[in-house]
Amino acid sequence: MKKDILFTVPSYFRDDMNIMGYRFGKGEKSCAVLGALRGDEVQQLYVCSRLVSYLREVERDGGIMPGKSVLIIPTAIGFSMNAGERLWAPENMDINRRFPGDADGSTTSRIADALFDRLRLYRYGVQLTSFYQPGSFVPHVRVMDTGRQNPDLGCEFGLPYVYVRTPRSADKATLNYAWQLAGTQAYSLYAGKTREIDEAAAEQTLRAIIRFLNGRGIIRSDVTPGHASSVIADGDLLTVSAASAGLLRRIKFAGAHVRRGEQLAFIMNPCDGSVRETLKAPATGMLFYVQDGPFIAEGSPVFQVLSNTR
Amino acid sequence: MPVTREIQTVAGAALPIYESFAVRRCRYAPESGAKGRFCLASGVHGDETLGQLILFEVAQRITAQPERLAGVVDLYPMLNPLGLDIGERMVPVGTRLDMNRSFPGNPDGTPLERICHQLAEDMRGADFVLDIHSGTHLKHELCEARITAKEPEPLIALARQLCPDLIWVYPDRIAYEASLSGALCGMGTPSMLLQADERGGDPRKTAARVADGIFRLMAHLGLWDGGAQESLPRIPCIRAEAEVVRVTCQRPGMYVPHPCIGMKVSAGQVIGRIIDALDGAVLEEIASPSAGLVFSQRCYSSVYPGTLIARIFSPERRDNA
Repeated sequence: MKKDILFTVPSYFRDDMNIMGYRFGKGEKSCAVLGALRGDEVQQLYVCSRLVSYLREVERDGGIMPGKSVLIIPTAIGFSMNAGERLWAPENMDINRRFPGDADGSTTSRIADALFDRLRLYRYGVQLTSFYQPGSFVPHVRVMDTGRQNPDLGCEFGLPYVYVRTPRSADKATLNYAWQLAGTQAYSLYAGKTREIDEAAAEQTLRAIIRFLNGRGIIRSDVTPGHASSVIADGDLLTVSAASAGLLRRIKFAGAHVRRGEQLAFIMNPCDGSVRETLKAPATGMLFYVQDGPFIAEGSPVFQVLSNTR
Repeated sequence: MPVTREIQTVAGAALPIYESFAVRRCRYAPESGAKGRFCLASGVHGDETLGQLILFEVAQRITAQPERLAGVVDLYPMLNPLGLDIGERMVPVGTRLDMNRSFPGNPDGTPLERICHQLAEDMRGADFVLDIHSGTHLKHELCEARITAKEPEPLIALARQLCPDLIWVYPDRIAYEASLSGALCGMGTPSMLLQADERGGDPRKTAARVADGIFRLMAHLGLWDGGAQESLPRIPCIRAEAEVVRVTCQRPGMYVPHPCIGMKVSAGQVIGRIIDALDGAVLEEIASPSAGLVFSQRCYSSVYPGTLIARIFSPERRDNA
C-alpha cells in the first residue's frame, strides 16, 4: 500500500487539509473508490476505511493481480467532517456539484478538479454517496443514465438492485455524471445510513466492492456470492408522501416487504400524540427508501416502494 | 382608491410544530382592469435582505399614486422565510438546499420542490418577473442585471430600463436552468435577476434607486403611467465570458480589501492583500491581472486558495482573445 497526499488545501488557522489516497498494486489504473464528499457522510468514510484495511491484507497475501491497481480516497472533505458541517463551509458549497472542476476556480472547484484529474484515469469508478434527503435505502448500485452507462456491469456488485436514474439538471455537475462522460464506468453505492455507522449495511457494501474487484480480475480474494441483481428505473418506484406535518412514527423500515394497503407509518401531532395521518403502501412490494428523520414537513417523501408488479 | 390590494399565501408546506413554510404575495391591481402583470420576488437566499426594502419602497409608491397603476403588481418579499430567520442562504430543512437551484420544482417532489413548483406556476405568464438578490457580509456587488436566457437580446432591452450599473449575460450553464429566473425563462416568462447591493451605504438610497428603475421598466411595459420616457444612460453590458476576469487568491489568510468596487482599475493595480496576524506578515498582494471595472469585491474575511476576491469587467480582454 502506498499512501499519497493527492491534494492539499492550506488553511490560515487550522491545519492544512490533506486529501489522502491509498494505492494498492501497480500498473493499469483499474478501479478508484471515493468515500465522503460531504461532511456528514460518516458511513461512506467508514466503508472506505474498512476497504483500505481489507486490501492491505489482500496485498500482503499477494492478492492484488499483476498489472492492476486500486485507489481508495476515504474523504475529500475532512475540514467539514471535523467542524460538523455537511457542505464545504467556507463557501457553503457542495463539492459534488462542482465536477469536473476548475484548477483556477473556487476552492471547491479546485478540490473537484484535483480529484477528477486522478479519478478520470480509472477504468471503473465507485462512489459511496448519500441522498439529498435524510433517510435509509436498501443497499443498491446507482447508475446515471448518460447514454454511456453499463447497468449489466453494475450487477457484478451483487447487490439486490441496480437503479438506472434519469439525471436532473443539478446532477450534471456531479462526480458520477462527469466520470461517465470521461469514459469511466462509474457507479454510486448507497450504503444504508449517512450520518451514523450502520454495521450491517457497511459490511454488505464492503462485500459488494470486494465482489466487484474480484469479478473484474483486479484482486483475488475470498468472496461470498451476491444477489442476482435486478435492474430498475425511476418508473419502478412509487413514492409515498406525507400530506400532513408532524412527528414520524415508522412501523416499517427499509427492506421490508409490504402488501398493498398495509400501514407503514403514522404522522403524529407532536404535542398531543393524536394521529394526523396513516401512511399506507400504495402497492405490494418492498420498501426501497425510508425517511428517517423524526420530523416530517407537509409533502415530504417518506417511502419509496419498489412494486412487485413493475 | 382605484387599486385593490390582496395578501395571499401562494406557496407553502406545513412544518411539524404548528407553523407553515409560507410564501406570501401582496397583489396590487387597478380596479379599472389590468394591462398586464409584473412580479417582484426577493429573499430566495435567506441572508439577502435588501429586496424587502426595495419591495416596501415599491408598495409605498403605488399606494401614494394608485391612479398611475395600469397593471397587476405582485410582490413576493421573502421566498425563504426560514433562512431569513437564521441568516442562512440555504433552506434550512432536510439537508439544506439552495432554493435557487431547485426551480422549476416538482409538484410531487420534496416540500422545497413543491414550493418552488407552486411559485413558478404562480409567476408563469407574467409580463416580467424580477428576482432581486443583494450582497451578503462576504461580498459587495455593483447593481447588476443578470440574464440567463437562451435569447438574451429582448431581455437586455428591458434590463436597460432598470438602469443598473452593469448588465451581465450569464453563460447558458446547466445549473442556471434551476434558478428562478432561468426556469421562468425556460417556461416562456421573461425574467432576470437583479443584484442590488447597498455597498456599505444607506440602504434606503439603494432601494429608492432600484425602485426608480422598476417603475421606469413598468412604464416601458405600459403597466405604470410614467409620463414622458427619459433618455437612458449608456450601461455597460457583458456579453462574453472572456470579458469577465475572476480574481482569486492563492494563499490562505485574512483578506484585507483595498476598496475599489465600482472603480476602474489598471492592470497590476493592487486590490487587496492577504495577511497573517500570527506571523505579522503579508502573505500575498492581490493585483488585478487586467484593466477594467471592478463590479464585485470580497469584504474583509478569511479566505482559502481559490476564494473569489473580485470580478472585473474587462472588454479589452475579449478584444485580445
